[in-house]
Amino acid sequence: MDIFARAHLPRIAALALASASFLAVTAAEAKEITIWCWDPNFNVAIMKEAGARYTKTHPDVTFNVVDFAKTDVEQKLQTGLASGTADALPDIVLIEDYGAQKYLQSFPGAFAALSGTVDYSGFAPYKVEVMTVDGQIYGMPFDSGVTGLYYRKDYLEQAGFKPEDMQNLTWDRFIEIGSQVEAKTGKKMMGLDPNDGGLVRIIMQSAGQWYFDKEGKPNITGNPALKAAVETMGKIMSANIYKPANGWSDWVGTFTSGDVATVVTGVWITGTVKAQPDQAGKWGVAPIPALSIEGATHASNLGGSSWYVLESSAEKAEAIDFLNEIYGKDIDFYQKILQERGAVGSLLAARGGAAYEAADPFFGGEKVWQNFSDWLVKVPSVNYGVFTNEADLAVTAQLPALTQGMPVDDALKAIESEISGHIQ
Amino acid sequence: MALARRGGIGRYYDVNGWLFVAPALGLIALFMVYPIVWSLWMSFQSGRGMMMKFAGFSNIVRLWNDPVFIKALTNTMTYFVVQVPIMILLALILASLLNNPRLVGRAFFRTAIFLPCVTSLVAYSVLFKGMFAFGGIVNSTLQAIGIIASPIPWQTHPFWAKALVIIAITWRWTGYNMIFYLAALQNIDRSIYEVARIDGVPAWARFTHITIPLLKPVILFTTVISTIGTLQLFDEVYNLTEGKGGPSNATLTLSLYIYNLTFRFMPNFGYAATVSYVIVVLVALLAFLQFFLARERDR
Repeated sequence: MDIFARAHLPRIAALALASASFLAVTAAEAKEITIWCWDPNFNVAIMKEAGARYTKTHPDVTFNVVDFAKTDVEQKLQTGLASGTADALPDIVLIEDYGAQKYLQSFPGAFAALSGTVDYSGFAPYKVEVMTVDGQIYGMPFDSGVTGLYYRKDYLEQAGFKPEDMQNLTWDRFIEIGSQVEAKTGKKMMGLDPNDGGLVRIIMQSAGQWYFDKEGKPNITGNPALKAAVETMGKIMSANIYKPANGWSDWVGTFTSGDVATVVTGVWITGTVKAQPDQAGKWGVAPIPALSIEGATHASNLGGSSWYVLESSAEKAEAIDFLNEIYGKDIDFYQKILQERGAVGSLLAARGGAAYEAADPFFGGEKVWQNFSDWLVKVPSVNYGVFTNEADLAVTAQLPALTQGMPVDDALKAIESEISGHIQ
Repeated sequence: MALARRGGIGRYYDVNGWLFVAPALGLIALFMVYPIVWSLWMSFQSGRGMMMKFAGFSNIVRLWNDPVFIKALTNTMTYFVVQVPIMILLALILASLLNNPRLVGRAFFRTAIFLPCVTSLVAYSVLFKGMFAFGGIVNSTLQAIGIIASPIPWQTHPFWAKALVIIAITWRWTGYNMIFYLAALQNIDRSIYEVARIDGVPAWARFTHITIPLLKPVILFTTVISTIGTLQLFDEVYNLTEGKGGPSNATLTLSLYIYNLTFRFMPNFGYAATVSYVIVVLVALLAFLQFFLARERDR
């Protein structure tokens, strides 16, 4: 149709670059560290707090924390790295753990190795593993995505379930409870975006498996955890205990509006849950349901991200020192971001702090942070590989067919053939 | 002597002429020819990110074994086959209706139907996304007037998601095509219609036997432009599906796949370039076919 308005892709890329270099130009003055991240209530606010702490002791360094949508950060970073012009890039960028290996392997030399500076023995090992390439460690581990089952105590009580009944569930029991909740309260059990593979990843990792094996080869048709996860998704969808959502904000709306009884996701959602003061005291947190297969646990991970310094950054030395000073050593900082933002950091020493011991009145006085940090050490370690995005799309592509009665093994075969096509 | 002078002047004019067009030619070479040639060279390479290696025809082989590419190609062709005829026909009908001088409020209707064309692609996609949400205004209106019993899953069902994209682009582009037809209709001599009316030719026959044949060059033009636009369809799908082309890749287009191969997935610029050449070849073939079908036959 309009060949002029439908800009060709290179032109979009050029535009993105132009706007990015505009930002970089302002960053080049004095010692300002530019940082890209994506969640204004979470990592943006936390980075601003970290910057304020560092500026107190180093008044010559200031911070410019730029807030984008997550996909925009990723795609802008990828464009900048591909173009090879350093001007377009920030000094520090936040990268989700699933994508870390992709960037580190595709753009060798683009990120600064911090192995010599940072003492990595103090961090959760699985976080360090995702940022290691050929023995070099890049990046500063940030938050963990340890998962929990957030549930509305009031709705479940109406349906006849007590908090004890929500502990250590199986997924089958979870679906049963969901049907009863809907029958008694008219509320759906959970919000679900059929285009988001998050729940499949949570369930799969809880049983210690991933789309790829330790060598990075596809692990699909012979993967009992993925099979059970996909089966569980099929059961949830055919039991119709979910409210469909389209996109992230729509999904968040399912529970902030009080339309659903539970949320299964990473601990970083706590801030969003607590952002509804009228729901105070109505929420509880339990371990996520487990599969009924060998190696199944009640602990998993969703998302979580880390900070990376760009090798080309003019303020590289300051940026590395800043990350090491605050994220590598400041225990008090971790207490503050936990209390204010619900950020469970991956610096193990921080878990001894007072904030982790405190009871949270929003959750009816439960010691939720203690629970999350107990579950954190139980999260099975897996290799995210470099093709998680591709695998995720391949899985969600098969979900609708599954609810229409497609056998799970056929779905797995289709997923495997799609993923194999991407791995070249 | 005279000959030699003319030659000299000829060269003089040539040099000046070339000097005048040189800046433009230089820019075209730098920003058009160079990227096109470079992308062709890239399509013969493969690898992760910056680690590209020469790979011969392996990208073309990969196309045949890539179910996502086949899906994107099928979707794109579905949009093309279903949407372009609907839109062209709708635009033709609207144009001939609005060309009627006795119609009250003609200027208002023309403006109203053309107005979608000046809205931003992103803005209207986001608006459609909200209107066609599960509990959105479209579903609740249809339910309220009793056309449907339960809400239509516009964005979560593969069929309806495709339908939504087709509705959206038809809404956006019909007015654009209509303007071309309206302009062309002004050039048709009114006496032809008058003669036909006197001869007792009914209205629909006047439309099919006079209007359409006389508009043929414009119809050809809009069809080619629409074909190119549909094959490059990107903004609407990207914004309606958060860049995923979901559900189940049901709305994935070739352009969106190229974008994903470059910016969302493990970046493989070589393969992405290959897929973009598929669009080039398709546009060329379809445009040729349309010119062939619409050619003036010798009688």
